[in-house]
Amino acid sequence: MSINILTLRIQYEQDIVFSRQRARQISELIGFDLREQTSIATAVSEITRNAFSYAGKSDVYFLFDDKSSPPMFIIKVSDHGPGIKDVDSILSGRYSSKTGLGMGIVGSRRLMDYFKIESAPGLGTTVILGKILPKERKLDLKEEAARISKELVKKNPQDLYEEMRQQNQELLRSLDEIKKRQEDLVSLNKELEETNRGVVALYAELDERAEHLKTINEIKTKFLSNMSHEFKTPLNSILALSNLLIQEADGKLNDEQEKQVKYIRKSTEDLYELVNDLLDIAKVEAGKLTVKPSSFSIEQLFSTLKVMFKPLIITQTVNLVFQEPKGLPNLYTDEIKVSQILRNLISNAIKFTENGEIRITSQYEDNTERIIFSVKDTGIGIEEKYKTIIFEEFAQIDSDLQRKAKGTGLGLPLSKRLAELLGGSLWVDSIYGKGSVFYLNIPIIYKGPGSGTLQESSIFSKGDRSSEAGKFSEHNILIIDDQEISRYILQGVLNDLFPDYSVIQAKDGKDGLEKTEVIRPEVIFLDLIMPGLNGFDVLEKLKGNSYTSNIPVYIVTSKDLSAKDKDRLGNGPAGIISKNILSSSNALETLRVLIRI
Amino acid sequence: MEKIPILKMGKYLLVTIQVDMHDRLAMSLQDDLTEKIVLYNARGVLIDISSLEIVDSFIGRMLSNIASMSRILDAETVVVGMRPAVAITMVELGLDMKGVKTALNVDMGMKMLDIFTGKNDEQEKLNDHSEE
Repeated sequence: MSINILTLRIQYEQDIVFSRQRARQISELIGFDLREQTSIATAVSEITRNAFSYAGKSDVYFLFDDKSSPPMFIIKVSDHGPGIKDVDSILSGRYSSKTGLGMGIVGSRRLMDYFKIESAPGLGTTVILGKILPKERKLDLKEEAARISKELVKKNPQDLYEEMRQQNQELLRSLDEIKKRQEDLVSLNKELEETNRGVVALYAELDERAEHLKTINEIKTKFLSNMSHEFKTPLNSILALSNLLIQEADGKLNDEQEKQVKYIRKSTEDLYELVNDLLDIAKVEAGKLTVKPSSFSIEQLFSTLKVMFKPLIITQTVNLVFQEPKGLPNLYTDEIKVSQILRNLISNAIKFTENGEIRITSQYEDNTERIIFSVKDTGIGIEEKYKTIIFEEFAQIDSDLQRKAKGTGLGLPLSKRLAELLGGSLWVDSIYGKGSVFYLNIPIIYKGPGSGTLQESSIFSKGDRSSEAGKFSEHNILIIDDQEISRYILQGVLNDLFPDYSVIQAKDGKDGLEKTEVIRPEVIFLDLIMPGLNGFDVLEKLKGNSYTSNIPVYIVTSKDLSAKDKDRLGNGPAGIISKNILSSSNALETLRVLIRI
Repeated sequence: MEKIPILKMGKYLLVTIQVDMHDRLAMSLQDDLTEKIVLYNARGVLIDISSLEIVDSFIGRMLSNIASMSRILDAETVVVGMRPAVAITMVELGLDMKGVKTALNVDMGMKMLDIFTGKNDEQEKLNDHSEE
C-alpha cells in the first residue's frame, strides 16, 4: 500500500523548479541527510524536465511505499505524452540528449535506490524513483505523511509565485481574448468594407435609375403637354360645330337631333375639361404655370364660391356652410388658383357626402403669416391606406359613391401641385365613415418667382395696333389655315361678324401668300402651325413685302405661345386669337371686341 | 521577466546565482553574459553558485556552455562556491563539466582569474612596448 504525501502537476517550466524544491523539502522532512536530499532533488529535476519537454503536462506523486522491504520514499512522474520508443537505448546511455548532458535518466537511476520506467509509444511514460527511508524512523508512515503535508503547507514558498502565475495566466487569457476580438473586428471590418462597397455600387445604380426616371418623367410631361394641344384642336372644332348646330345656323334641328347634339357638346365639354386638367398638370411639372398674384379678400373669394356652388347642392340633406371670416387680412396671391383649389375640394366634398354638412373655414396664423383653409365634410371618409394615393394622378378609390360620382382623378393632384406652386401645402385628415377635412395652407403673401410672363389667358391683343388696324377699305378677308374645320368655323364666325365682307380661304402658307398677292385682303387670319411654310414664315414674308406689309394679320392658334414664340412674332401680328375662343358660346362678342372695324 | 544580475568588477564580471533557476532563466543568463562580456570587454567571469542546492544536468550543461563561449570571446570562467552535496551528486549523476574551471570560494576564484588573465596582460604590455 502506498501513502500519498503530495501530488503536483507540472504544467509550466517553473513547475520543474517547484517539484525539485518540494522533493528536497519532503526529503528533508523525512530525515534524509543533505547529500541524499540533493540527490533526490536532482533526480526529480531530471525526470520532471524530461516529462515536461516531451509530454508537456505531467503529474508528480510523492508517496511512501510501506509494502516494500525496506519501506521507501517513492516519487512517481507520470505523463500522457508520446512515450519513449526505445527505453533500453536510453538506459544503456546510447541516447544523446539535446537539453541536458544526456545524463537525465541514466544519471537519475544512479542517484536513486529504486528506478523503474514504464513506457510505450502513444501511451505515455511513468517513471518511479525510490529511496530507502532512513532507519531512525519513529512514527507510523501515515502519521509521518500527514505531518509532512502539514509542514509543507506552512512552508508554501510557492504562494507568491503561484499567484503571479495565475495573474499571468489571466493576462494571457485576456490577451488571447483581445487577440480573438481583434480578429473578429478585423473580419467584421472586412465584412463592413464589402457591404460598403456593395452599398456604394447600389447607390450608383440608384443614381442612374433616378436619372433615368427623371428623363422619363420629363418625356412624359412633354408628351402630356404636346398631346393635350393635339387633343384640344379637334375638341375645339367639335365644340364649335356642335354650337353651330345648336344655334341652328344651318337649318332647324328636330327635338331628338337637338338632344343628341347637346349630348355631344356635353361630352365634349367634359373631355375638354379633362384635357385642360392634364395640361395644367403638365404645365406645373414643366414649371410653365406662373402665378399672377393680386390682392383680394377672403370674403370676396367665399361669396364667389358660394354663388358657384349653390346650384350644385341638389339634395336637401347636405348643407354647404361658408364660415364668415372675421378680421382676416387681405391675401396677395393668385386668386384664380386659390379658387381653383377650393373649388376642387368643395366639389369633391359634395360628391362624397350624402347627408350632413360641408363647412368651409379660414384661419390666420399670426406667427407664420399663413392662412389655413379647411373644407370639412361628413361624407364617406378616406381609409388610412388611401390617404396618400388620392394625391396621385388618376387614382380613384373604389366605392359605391365613387362609382356614382364622375371624376377624372386629376382634381386632387392638380390642387396639391397648385398649392405647392403658391408656396403652400395640401393635406387631409379623415376618419373612415365619418368624414374628411382637407386643409390648404398658403402664405398670405405670395413670395415666389415674380409675376408670370407667360399669360394663361388665351387672348391678348396689342390694343393700339388693333385699333389702328381699324377700317377695312376693301371687302376681302383671308384665312390661312391648313385645317379645313378650323377654316370652316372661323369663316362662320367672320361671316356673322362682318356680313359685308367676303371670306376667302387658303389651305397653306404658300397658297396664302399667292392669294394675298391676287386679292390683297383687308385682314388676314393666320394659323401658326402648318406644313411647309408655317405661320411664322408667312408673317415674315408678308411683313417683308411693302405691298402686303400694311395688312393687319391676326394670329389664330391653339398653341400656348412661349416667350421664344412671342419674340419671333415681334410686333408683326395685329393680335393673337386663341382657337379656344372660337369654340366658346360667346365667340362672337369676344371677337367683336378684338377685331374692331 | 526576472533576471540574474551581472556585476562588473574591474575587468571581470561577477554573477551570483541566488535563486533556483528554471531553464529559461538559465538560458537567458547565458545570453546576457555573452553580451556583457563583449560590452565591457571583460577578461574573466566569476560565477558564484554557493546558493544553489542542486545542479542538474541542464544547469551543468549551461555552466559548461558559458565557459566555452567565454573562452571564444577571450574571457576565462571560474565557477566558485559549489556545495559538497552538489559536487557529490554531480559525480553520481555522471556530469563532467568539461572546460569549466572551479575554485572553492570567490577569493580563490579571483586569484585564479588574475593568473589566467595576467599572462595575457603581460603579453599586451610587451606588444605595447614593441609598438613604441
